[in-house]
Amino acid sequence: MSFISLQFVILMVATLLAFYLAGERYRKLVLLVSSCIFIGYYHLQFLFIAIAVSLFTYAAGLLIERSRRSRWHKPLYVGSLAAMILFWIFCRNSAALLGTTGFLFPLGISFYTFQALSYITEIYWGEEKAETSLPDFMLYMLLFMKFISGPIERSRDMLPQLHHMQQANYEMMAMGMKILFVGLFKKIVIADRLAIYIDPVFDTPQSFATEQLIAACLIYPIYLYCDFSGYTDIAIGCGRLFGLKISPNFDRPFIAQSTAELWRRWHMSLSFWVRDYIYYPLSATMRRWGLNGILMSVVITFVLLGIWHGVGLSFVIYGLIQGLSIAYEMKTKKMRDRLKQLLGKGFKLWSVLRMYLIFAVSLIFFRCAHFKNAWYFVTHMFVNSTDDWTGWGLNIPVHYRCVTLIAIALMLAFEYMQARYDLLKRIEKLRPVWRWSIYYVMIFALLAYGKIGADNFVYVQF
Amino acid sequence: MEKIITTLTHIISKLLNRDNILLSPETTAHDVDGWDSITNMLIINEVEKVYHIKFSFRDIAHMRNVGDLCGMIKEKTSSNS
Repeated sequence: MSFISLQFVILMVATLLAFYLAGERYRKLVLLVSSCIFIGYYHLQFLFIAIAVSLFTYAAGLLIERSRRSRWHKPLYVGSLAAMILFWIFCRNSAALLGTTGFLFPLGISFYTFQALSYITEIYWGEEKAETSLPDFMLYMLLFMKFISGPIERSRDMLPQLHHMQQANYEMMAMGMKILFVGLFKKIVIADRLAIYIDPVFDTPQSFATEQLIAACLIYPIYLYCDFSGYTDIAIGCGRLFGLKISPNFDRPFIAQSTAELWRRWHMSLSFWVRDYIYYPLSATMRRWGLNGILMSVVITFVLLGIWHGVGLSFVIYGLIQGLSIAYEMKTKKMRDRLKQLLGKGFKLWSVLRMYLIFAVSLIFFRCAHFKNAWYFVTHMFVNSTDDWTGWGLNIPVHYRCVTLIAIALMLAFEYMQARYDLLKRIEKLRPVWRWSIYYVMIFALLAYGKIGADNFVYVQF
Repeated sequence: MEKIITTLTHIISKLLNRDNILLSPETTAHDVDGWDSITNMLIINEVEKVYHIKFSFRDIAHMRNVGDLCGMIKEKTSSNS
């Protein structure tokens, strides 16, 4: 069930009631049952696979820890790793491998597989102890708020919270509701409105002129950010209602001045995961070749990150652009430092714009289903002009264009204020009349301008 | 430790192209502009060359601050001598 659905609202309300009425002993069971309902609602196959992977990971963790002094320690770790990765690859390619009778790509598998891989790796490295409580571990893997599209939670962050589950106090619940509303605003007021007009351009770029291709390319990063970070905010907000702190996944990515900085702000749980489990081991091995070795490891890491999103040349190129961009930035660091001294604040603005444009172009390869569409898109962005300036509007009705632009401006302003002044906490200190006025305006905005009934979130497909 | 910190300051200043770096045992990568996961490996590589030592991947992963790095350098250089 989508986060934006009546079924989800019913599940959340029922879970909240059961969680707080059932007593401390049964809270984890309530969350576990709700998570199973959430996952199984899509397809029972998804639930069985998620449970099977979780049980396998639980058992693997215990075996790897207990075999620490035996010759089976490394084979057990490598074998478990290989089994999980191969199963994930099999699921990704099941349609191609099994023909049309291949089973559906399991929901959330990319996210919980990465959780599982990091869990057994930390145990193998001796950084963490294997979880002995099966209910706690299953909840860590299946928790419905973060199941579909992350964040990819580390066991050291989530398991201690699950061991000592506390009910949320009023402040935490109020903050959770506010974060949830912010997520809904991003999703249904901005993302879902833009999707109607942007998706067709990426699905069939051959049917659109230069102006429309460029406009779609430039708007897509904002659309994707609102969709994905909106989902994350809803997940974080829901988590707070149960006293759980789910990790942030975004930190104002559009102020990044370099690709490396962008990936410290965009889809943080994934980028930190690939940094810790792919980049660090790889660069530690390749550092003997100096800067070139380290840059090669960066490029390989990002190509693998691209492949995580999907099989196909398009995703490889998406990752390659990120890696090569970072490599370029490292290689030209001295020149860029000199330019920074010369241009001052102008350099900062130029860097932010440059970063946005590089990211926007790379996302063409991320979004287009086939490489040939992505290639057509990129090669026809400046050649098929109709001289019809209305094309820049992507056929978005003027009314919705205004609403969306204002909503985007409000969102960016909110994020600046939140980072600088912790706006959500300051709202709590206002007098009730002002606080509730703000809440009512937010609810009105959602109901008046939100697109209710949209299908799902972009990152569900991964 | 002061001697190691002085050497590290020189290495990091050279790699990050900065003159005004001040290190203490509590300094972390977050405290120094430009010291990120990419430049970290360059710093580690240069430290290994200067001190003729070799860190394992887990050694690098356990370094949380400059103090940890200094401690690791002392350990490796004393086991080499």
